[in-house]
Amino acid sequence: MLLEINELFVRYGKSVMALQGASLEVGEGELVSLIGQNGAGKSTLLKSIVGIAPVHSGSITYDGAAVTDKKFSVIKNRIAYVPEDRGVFSSLTVGENLRLGAVSRKDTRNIDADIERELARFPILGEYWSRGASLLSGGEQQQLAIARALLLRPKLLLLDEPTLGLAPIIVDLIFDVIEQLRDEGVTILLVEQNAVRSIEVSNRSYVMQAPGKILGSGNAKELAANEAVVDYLGFSPTGLLGDSE
Amino acid sequence: MILQIIVDMVGLGATYALLTIGIALLFGILGLMNFAYGEIIMIGAFAMYLFKDYPWFVGVLAAVVFAVVVSVLTERLAFRPLRNADPVTLMIASFAVSLALQSVMRMTVLPRTQGVPPQPFLTESITVFGIRVTVLQIVTLVLCGVLLGGLALLMKKTPLGVQLRASAENFQVAKSLGVKGSFVIMSAFAIAGVMAAASGIILVARQGAVSAEMGLTPLLIGIVGAVVGGMSNLKGAALGGLLLGMGTGLLEATLPTDLIAFRDAFLYSAVMVVLVIRPQGLLSGTKVRTS
Repeated sequence: MLLEINELFVRYGKSVMALQGASLEVGEGELVSLIGQNGAGKSTLLKSIVGIAPVHSGSITYDGAAVTDKKFSVIKNRIAYVPEDRGVFSSLTVGENLRLGAVSRKDTRNIDADIERELARFPILGEYWSRGASLLSGGEQQQLAIARALLLRPKLLLLDEPTLGLAPIIVDLIFDVIEQLRDEGVTILLVEQNAVRSIEVSNRSYVMQAPGKILGSGNAKELAANEAVVDYLGFSPTGLLGDSE
Repeated sequence: MILQIIVDMVGLGATYALLTIGIALLFGILGLMNFAYGEIIMIGAFAMYLFKDYPWFVGVLAAVVFAVVVSVLTERLAFRPLRNADPVTLMIASFAVSLALQSVMRMTVLPRTQGVPPQPFLTESITVFGIRVTVLQIVTLVLCGVLLGGLALLMKKTPLGVQLRASAENFQVAKSLGVKGSFVIMSAFAIAGVMAAASGIILVARQGAVSAEMGLTPLLIGIVGAVVGGMSNLKGAALGGLLLGMGTGLLEATLPTDLIAFRDAFLYSAVMVVLVIRPQGLLSGTKVRTS
């Protein structure tokens, strides 16, 4: 497995336990989604991988190395993270934002070609290249955030609620891109509230319940067979596409 | 007469703009209200005193080197260990650095005010269309223009500038993208050091003296100017400094003699009015659309 999380506990302050023994695995080339309601602890799990949330106990292993080790570098291990608020720099242009995604890369010769590739994937970014990022709509900012993350040539892409608050047409576009990336072999851990679409596009899904407990996991069929998951989701994922069988 | 007043106002405004930029740069990137900035100015001015018997450009060069080195050292020794501390802790630390630098200078090389004779060429003046302009005013304007223009170019056109702006807006996200936080912060302190040195050079030329406490007034002017213009916005900070300086110059030129002693009361009343209308400063960045 590329990413292994075992019995992870994350605590904010002395009393707020955001994750309680969460375990999760992501294999190389897999698209794994983590679904659950607001406040379940999904975003905290992503933040703990990139070192923003304080790990209380448990382990996170990436490619055999302990992520919690002080020497572990998220960037050197090519883990790209798109935060829930997108993290777009509003004072920079679209082009400057995009180029920042490649700031740590040593293979500078290939960067321009990679930018071209992302502009082909997200044409609106090319159109608005010199425009201030503050002038972009939420959907455009999300495209910019994902394109910027891809410029790291990530081995693992962490997407936190990429469709949150977006118009349905943009949600479709974002999920199309996620599917495209999955087909290109990019390993993705996707945090989403849109359970139906996430289960459809993912190889496997984990369902998380507040406060930070994994209720069940598997492909659509396996989730459908889990009564607790069906109760929690409010629907049975039977018949949804996207399992790894 | 009016043109003469405008020239004097712009000269003072440009000097104030330099003061605000250095303060706003560090505030924007670190959230640090650096009260030690005045002492960095003082260090630059001290270099001018130390090399007062050498050609002027030697003193200028020394001022830049001294101010940059001390500015970077304060970052390395005092602020870096407090990198994740809250803004209040950082502010208190900057007070401590300010007092420490002042005390060390007073105890060692600058126990009392020292005179620095003005360079003869700086006191000369030329008259164009009846307007008298001193060489010092021209030097101030050119220096401010070059430094502000240079800083604008650096921020807009270089990768370091883009990283500085990104870090100023969201340090954590910039770091998560691979921006080298420590290098960017050190660069910001170095640039602030250059700005402080320029301010020190101009202040020494205007005042003809150096003292351990000389940084306080420019620090306060810098902070007020930056707040008026928009603390996290370099353009805004420069504008705030420029307007504050021009306002000071205007009041100096137009207030009746018996009211001139209350110049600052008038000026800061105007500042308060500006802040009541625009509490976020004159230029405070654009809002992000959410859909």
